[in-house]
Amino acid sequence: MSDHPYVPEIAVDREGNEYEVQGWQGDFFGGKFGFWLFMLTEIMMFGAMFMVLTYYFTLHHDDFINASASLNRTLGGFNTVVLLISALTMGLGLLKMRHGDVKGSKLMIWATILLALVFLGVKAVEWTAEYNHGIFLGLPALQGGLPESKPFGEIMFFGMYFTMTGLHGVHIIIGIGLMLWLLKRINAEKVTPEHYILHFNLALYWDLVHLIWVFVFPYYYMIGAGLSTGGH
Amino acid sequence: MATTKTYEEERAGYFKVLIGLLVLTAVTLIQPTMFLENATFGVQMFIGVIKAWMIVMYYMHMKGEKLIGASVIFAMFLVAFFFVIVMIDVNHFQFGDVSHITSEVTSAGGSSASKH
Repeated sequence: MSDHPYVPEIAVDREGNEYEVQGWQGDFFGGKFGFWLFMLTEIMMFGAMFMVLTYYFTLHHDDFINASASLNRTLGGFNTVVLLISALTMGLGLLKMRHGDVKGSKLMIWATILLALVFLGVKAVEWTAEYNHGIFLGLPALQGGLPESKPFGEIMFFGMYFTMTGLHGVHIIIGIGLMLWLLKRINAEKVTPEHYILHFNLALYWDLVHLIWVFVFPYYYMIGAGLSTGGH
Repeated sequence: MATTKTYEEERAGYFKVLIGLLVLTAVTLIQPTMFLENATFGVQMFIGVIKAWMIVMYYMHMKGEKLIGASVIFAMFLVAFFFVIVMIDVNHFQFGDVSHITSEVTSAGGSSASKH
């Protein structure tokens, strides 16, 4: 055990009055700002990935267009709409929570989870079709120096495609886990219409997941849409 | 979060943004075969930026946020700064003939890498 004396945290209001802080649960702005700082690291991480993508797109323009043309835009577009609607249900859930409709809020969170599962299911179908066409990480088509190898630019494109959509999918899975945790916290009355910072931050997280897809979708699926091949 | 809007007004706002995003998504899907076919990448990214702005401002409640807004702008500036540096670098790529990231030393399938 520490022998250090207890030193209270002191907060000062706008009039200069000092208060001993009893807990940070009520620090809405602090919670929000902290979460935004985390999200900025996410933006910079995905930003760096887009930078790598742009680098190789510039060097291997035609290969990227050809590779993009072979992706399934119907499934990609469907998933875009699914994610868009899930951002709405998440936002409406928060809105209902803030206005005291806890039951409605939970319903909206479940709807968001359902839509997230649909997104993952469609993604799984898409990846399976690509695997069956011999396009997946580790398969000969995406390895250099073999007779069946695709051109280097296409290998880079698909390598980045599986990496970024995979990482995005991991964020979706984490989001589902966090939403289940949020439901548990709501049931335990730790998240209430008066204290909803956790709900607010998870809604921000889900918007970030949506935001990343807003750029992932056109960058991978649409740049080669003019050379449509019907997709895998 | 301080707000003077009623529940109905805020809900209507969410749906307005949804409609805007759906319209832009539809434009994203039809653009490569309908208009500005030669500028697909630029148009797609431009639409993406508008969609991102709508999401950040309305769904992520960034409207009116000064400190957080400044932090976001700073982070975006950092990403954009490195983006510009990389683009300048790649547009002056000097080792196209010997580098493994360009076409010559790639694979049996050949490549269409552009030279800089």
